[in-house]
Amino acid sequence: MKSLVELGVKPVDSLINEKNDKRWSIMDKLLLGLSPGQYLGQALRNPFNWILGIIFAIGLPLIVYRFIFGLGAVTHASNDYPWGLFLGFGLFCMVPLSASGFMLGTTVEIFGRHDFHPIERLALLNGLLGYFFAVIYLMIDLGQPWRLPYPMFWSFGPAAVLFLVAWHVATYLSVQIAEVSVAFFEWMDWLGGKRFIRRITIGLTVSGIILSTLHQGALGALFNYAPGKVHPLWYSASFQWIHFFVSAIPAGLCMVIVVSTIIKKTMAWRCDDGFLDSLDRCTLGLAKGASMGLITYLVIKFIGVAHDNEWAYLATGWGAWFLFEMAVGVLLPLVLFAYAIRHQLASLARWGAVFTVFGIVLNRLNTALITFNWKLYQEIPHIFEFIIAVTVFAIYITTYRFILYRLPILYSWKEQPQEALAPEAVKAAPINTTPSAANAVYRKID
Amino acid sequence: MNAKQILTTLMMVLALIVVGSTAMAADMPEQVSLDTMVELFDAVEFDHEMHTELGEDCSVCHHHTTGTGTTDDRCISCHANSDELATVACVNCHVIDPFSSEQLSQKSQEIYRFHIDKPGLKAAYHWNCIGCHEEMDGPTGCEDCHARTPEGDAFYHKDATGHADEGSNH
Amino acid sequence: MSGISRRKFLAASVAAGAATTLAGPKKALAVGSFSGYPDSMGVLVDLTRCIGCRSCEAACNKEQQLPDPNLPFDDMSVFDQTFHHGTQKRRTDESAYTVVNRYKPEGRDPIYRKVQCNHCAEPACLSSCFVNAYTKTKEGAVIYNGSVCVGCRNCMIACPFNVPAYSYSSAFGPVIKKCIFCYDTRLKDGKPPACVEICPQEALTFGKRKDLLKIGHQRIQTHPGRYIDRIYGEKELGGTHWMYLSPIPVEEVGFDPRPGNEPIISHVKDFLGVVPMVLAIWPALFTGFHLLAKNQEGHDDHEHETGHQQGSGQKHDDEGGQQ
Repeated sequence: MKSLVELGVKPVDSLINEKNDKRWSIMDKLLLGLSPGQYLGQALRNPFNWILGIIFAIGLPLIVYRFIFGLGAVTHASNDYPWGLFLGFGLFCMVPLSASGFMLGTTVEIFGRHDFHPIERLALLNGLLGYFFAVIYLMIDLGQPWRLPYPMFWSFGPAAVLFLVAWHVATYLSVQIAEVSVAFFEWMDWLGGKRFIRRITIGLTVSGIILSTLHQGALGALFNYAPGKVHPLWYSASFQWIHFFVSAIPAGLCMVIVVSTIIKKTMAWRCDDGFLDSLDRCTLGLAKGASMGLITYLVIKFIGVAHDNEWAYLATGWGAWFLFEMAVGVLLPLVLFAYAIRHQLASLARWGAVFTVFGIVLNRLNTALITFNWKLYQEIPHIFEFIIAVTVFAIYITTYRFILYRLPILYSWKEQPQEALAPEAVKAAPINTTPSAANAVYRKID
Repeated sequence: MNAKQILTTLMMVLALIVVGSTAMAADMPEQVSLDTMVELFDAVEFDHEMHTELGEDCSVCHHHTTGTGTTDDRCISCHANSDELATVACVNCHVIDPFSSEQLSQKSQEIYRFHIDKPGLKAAYHWNCIGCHEEMDGPTGCEDCHARTPEGDAFYHKDATGHADEGSNH
Repeated sequence: MSGISRRKFLAASVAAGAATTLAGPKKALAVGSFSGYPDSMGVLVDLTRCIGCRSCEAACNKEQQLPDPNLPFDDMSVFDQTFHHGTQKRRTDESAYTVVNRYKPEGRDPIYRKVQCNHCAEPACLSSCFVNAYTKTKEGAVIYNGSVCVGCRNCMIACPFNVPAYSYSSAFGPVIKKCIFCYDTRLKDGKPPACVEICPQEALTFGKRKDLLKIGHQRIQTHPGRYIDRIYGEKELGGTHWMYLSPIPVEEVGFDPRPGNEPIISHVKDFLGVVPMVLAIWPALFTGFHLLAKNQEGHDDHEHETGHQQGSGQKHDDEGGQQ
């Protein structure tokens, strides 16, 4: 696409095709204004799509195989380690990394920090897709996934922490769909829907904070059911849920930084100046927020160690692993962020974000898989589990890209100009106007 | 005494000996058939007479219910002077189904019973017998005393032919 | 307006509320203080009596209609089986609700331990199930309803004894498999489970849990030196209904010697208590933040960031309007 854009092709970013003054059709919007041949051509020329193709060729049949032959066919069918990569990575890692939705929603709508608005929609989409695919991973992991609605409607076990997780994730998905739907309604020109959502945005955002606090914490509380099984350095009888909730904050913020960096490097053609020009500033702002979260997390982790008097464990092999996770996943990003913020170096902040995401993933994998059953043997998941986990993640990336290519997330949607404005200005505007001049003509609704 | 009186006395003494010995023989069975598990195991044909010649005294197996009484420290405090009982068969005290609901409700009614931990018949046999068998090279394996029936073989899945390393699924 | 004034109405409401609240002492049941159904049954497992004949495994297999085993139940070579590079002995799985393992301590005869669900008084599996698939019956059994099970396997994570197994081999109807104390076929009618009935050594004693504790302590007392002075399961993890007497320290026969006396749910209750607090406090807290963030004209203040340049050509104006 980058080369096509350089040649002058302009992907759909408005209701009206400037060349013929007609509304874009759904098909046009889906193909970004290219002809099917052009679209297919650019897709086939993209090397990343070749990698995706290989992953899908191997992984998609394997996912079908899992559903035909059961979990025993793609896992080690372990009774000692019932949870593997599907939950360990797909649920426990993806959910904190998707905390960006409520973080940016709160920042912009509750605290009024509209300077983060350019990145708000990306953060909301990141949140929505992360949770949605966490549910996909869950469906692959459940023994009888068609019974997923059971705790919602059929048989209640309300004292169970997982009951809370189920209800909250379902409700929160609805909240996030509503929040992201604003971009969708713009794209479809369904302004009534958009106005409705805007009216209830504060309510949606507050609901999002409540739900996120509780289910981010609840994922941690799930391990309170197994106090003897998780290594003490990753388990806190009193604070497990707080550790998980607080670490979700830098997780979500840094995931947005990482994703926006990938976008800037691979999809800049889709971003408008409003996004690109504010990206460094937003990155540093997010880094500031992430730093607050990280330093808090560091302190409360060591409070946890002190509270349960676990200092002696630090001198063991597991202790070294714990210190590594803290050093690379928390301390190093803090140092990088501090320097980057002080010297206004967005690229350094981006590295800090990468290490933070690594640290979060490592922490969740450690808690759920690696130090789980630390007194028993170590279990390595089946190779098929790895393949399926990677495949679903590839589907997640593909879906993410599909939406970013089309919906007004990285760019502002240009609405039809009103009749009351100077209609002659529309005709007079040349086809290849510079963005700033074009913006002067069109009315934007954010 | 005249000859007739001597003969009568002799006959009476003889009668007493015969009757007496017959009575004793009726008390002590030569063989006992232990058949409470016949679905799985053939009856044990227990040679009681042989065992009476082996043990020093009846109380070795029959506790304080017969013989010279017990010498066990735990029992003497109550049973030092216990009388012999009329019947001393194991099954009279050690019931076949110690955990049936009838037994349990009976136990709960006997609130002054001391022996709340009395074994049932199977345990009584095994605990009482195997100890001496081990010391004196008697039969100690399951089928040494009671062979399995075909149903018993099926119960133990004698014909299972899997591999030893396909064990429990961790 | 009727004869009731607003003041009187409010006063009456407060009085009624106070009366209800203070009405009589409420029984506060803290977690871990549930001493069990009074007549519930249990089993006392005496490790000095078990000879490792595995008849209990055979009886369970028959009673619960389990699949054929790999090896006959009188094959003692299973005691030599180890898993995961020699670190693990046999465990329960989808085809075996109970197994017997052998332990060879120094200087004494081998000890055999029967492993099965311990039917805890406040079970972790039950506490963790979000579809209420587990029930603790008044007879003492912890039973399971496969027809509502979604297969999340949280119960397997929660069980401190690693007892529940999953029928991974089933593609379309996998469920949890574990000992159910022969509830459906025996316990419901007051009868002992199949394993208890078959045991030739009466290593398993069936009765009311409270009576088993008396029997257990009496055994320890009348056989000094034969047992360690502990009934494992008396208090551990809130108390279990299958309890053990051991001649040697319990960690030498594969138990966790210090699992604590709290049932697993007590580790989760604090978080569960936080949930309604967050639901109640967060709305006002964050709405409050939002109101504070607005400046006096009722607009959100977005002009206040310090010294950062705006994106070129795009002012962030949520009021819309012309540039």
